[in-house]
Amino acid sequence: MAEMNGIIEVDNLTFGYTPRNTVLRDISFAVMPGEFLAIAGPNGAGKTTLLNLLCRTLTPRSGTIRIDSAAVESYGAEALAEKMAVVRQEFVPIFGFSVIETVMMARTRHFGAMGFESKADREIVNRALDVTDTSRFASRPLASLSAGERQRVFIARALAQDTAILLLDEPTNFLDLKHQVAIFDLLKSAQLNENKTLVAVTHDINLAAQYCDRTLLLGTDGSCRHGQPGEILSAEQIEKVFGVPVFAGQVGRGRFFIPLGKFAKDAEQIANAPDGAPQQ
Amino acid sequence: MPDASDRSFLQIEQMAELLTPNKLAVRIVLGLLVLGAVMFLCSLIGTESVSLKAVFAGGAKAPAVNPDYEIFVRVRIPRIVLGAVVGAALASSGVVFQALLRNPLADPYILGISSGAGLGAMIAVISGLSWTLFGRSPIAIFAFIGALGTVWLVWLIGRLTGKFHLTGLLLAGVVVNAFFSAVIMFLTSVAKAEQVYATMFWLMGNMMEEDFVVLWTAGGCIVAGTVGLFYLGPQLNALSFGEEDARSIGVNTGRTRAAAFAIAAFMTAVAVSISGLIGFVGLIVPHGVRLVLGPDHRQLLPLSAIVGAIFLVAADTIARIVVAPAQLPVGVVTAIIGGPFFLLLLVRYSRSVGWLK
Repeated sequence: MAEMNGIIEVDNLTFGYTPRNTVLRDISFAVMPGEFLAIAGPNGAGKTTLLNLLCRTLTPRSGTIRIDSAAVESYGAEALAEKMAVVRQEFVPIFGFSVIETVMMARTRHFGAMGFESKADREIVNRALDVTDTSRFASRPLASLSAGERQRVFIARALAQDTAILLLDEPTNFLDLKHQVAIFDLLKSAQLNENKTLVAVTHDINLAAQYCDRTLLLGTDGSCRHGQPGEILSAEQIEKVFGVPVFAGQVGRGRFFIPLGKFAKDAEQIANAPDGAPQQ
Repeated sequence: MPDASDRSFLQIEQMAELLTPNKLAVRIVLGLLVLGAVMFLCSLIGTESVSLKAVFAGGAKAPAVNPDYEIFVRVRIPRIVLGAVVGAALASSGVVFQALLRNPLADPYILGISSGAGLGAMIAVISGLSWTLFGRSPIAIFAFIGALGTVWLVWLIGRLTGKFHLTGLLLAGVVVNAFFSAVIMFLTSVAKAEQVYATMFWLMGNMMEEDFVVLWTAGGCIVAGTVGLFYLGPQLNALSFGEEDARSIGVNTGRTRAAAFAIAAFMTAVAVSISGLIGFVGLIVPHGVRLVLGPDHRQLLPLSAIVGAIFLVAADTIARIVVAPAQLPVGVVTAIIGGPFFLLLLVRYSRSVGWLK
């Protein structure tokens, strides 16, 4: 690959949870600064595993991961938190922390000797709350929020961490259409306005195609393709990787895919339509 | 400029939501004042009425024995200080165990400290040792060693099950607890009746009058421990979201967990070795404080320590007087008063806090 100065560089990465099973085999890709990468693929393809390797929650069996030209293992917890923030799959902590308390935790490593935030920390947090439109319920406990609101809070916390890289694990899980789009709009604006590098795990190929600069398509058979969504995402490719026939349509520059179940209405008709994609 | 004023209003409101050092300092000072008042009042209450005037009039220098002075200074005050020290230790280590295990049901005894201490005490009683070390009976010393040894064992077993598996740690605690309880029961069944009685009396939790050296040492340990835990507050907050999450925001979770765990286990072991097993304080005081003031550990730790001290001093005073001249084990009082009081708090606040869901 030509991109040797990516902010994230993964070379020949192999990982398995047990010696006999290999989830990720010989994966190489690079993420350029300011790029939005979608890691897509079916359940069990190792998307979240790859994310956990990137943020060093897991250790690779072989291969290297470099963040900002330094091996990921060479970072301490604090140093790595300077480089990347992680938004994990949605969950509720056991104690009733409020939204602003949660977001402020992103600044923990900057707290003063007595364990309190500075004025600068507070400004950064307020801005993150504003950007994510969460300041309205800043004082409410996390558990009282809807899934979409809570996801925005965790994105706010990641923004408040003030890092170049944001890793997100299925940020639109459990969200309805409106909130899915809202989250991706928010991520895109962070990419465009603050030059963040984004890596988002998603199994929503349509959102990936619409919003991301590049896609890493992982298959359950250990296959891996990396490139622009237009090159990677095609009806054949998706049918091969996800194991379900899809209808591929096109609106303007964006392509969209509709899965065709055996008993879906009009499944046969759509599948037999000439060439799937409408001709321009 | 409606926009700008809106914005500043919003910021003021947001600022009001967060714990500030000033707010915390005011609450700690208020708490300490209440603690002082409660300790003072409780020192006046008892089966013998004590006149402060007589206490100060006599002093230790009086040629004749001054009963007021003797009762007040040698009996009441040490016992009240003991209650405060033990209550603070149990409440703040309860906070830590709940945070580290991410489990609202956790208390200081959950990882086997109670059965370890009980086993230590039982062994001391059965082997009939009669020496003393720093004025401590072998029971207390064996209990201390048993408590720390057990918690260390549980920690080691927990690590074997995987670094971040809290369930493994909890299960290790439960199993070690059950195993040591079985050993205690075995020893009980082969021991002599008076030995069993001595152990049981100790296990139920009792506030024997302690000498000053022990009290000051223990008190110093507990205050130092609480201050140490306070500095871990922000890290404990982050850990409430889970190990991985805390690490990704830059918390050195391994160090934080080990330090908090060691301090809390040590404080509990100190408390157990001077007062036996007093239940409920380490469970309900953290919950009560959290329900009223929120989950921020920077506030939760110092205020739980203060409230725990107040609670145990008051409970012990009741234990002293309610069936006078006999005395109740203080654990009975903490459970009987603490239970309903806690339920009241739970119903009152849980709807708005919502952490039980």
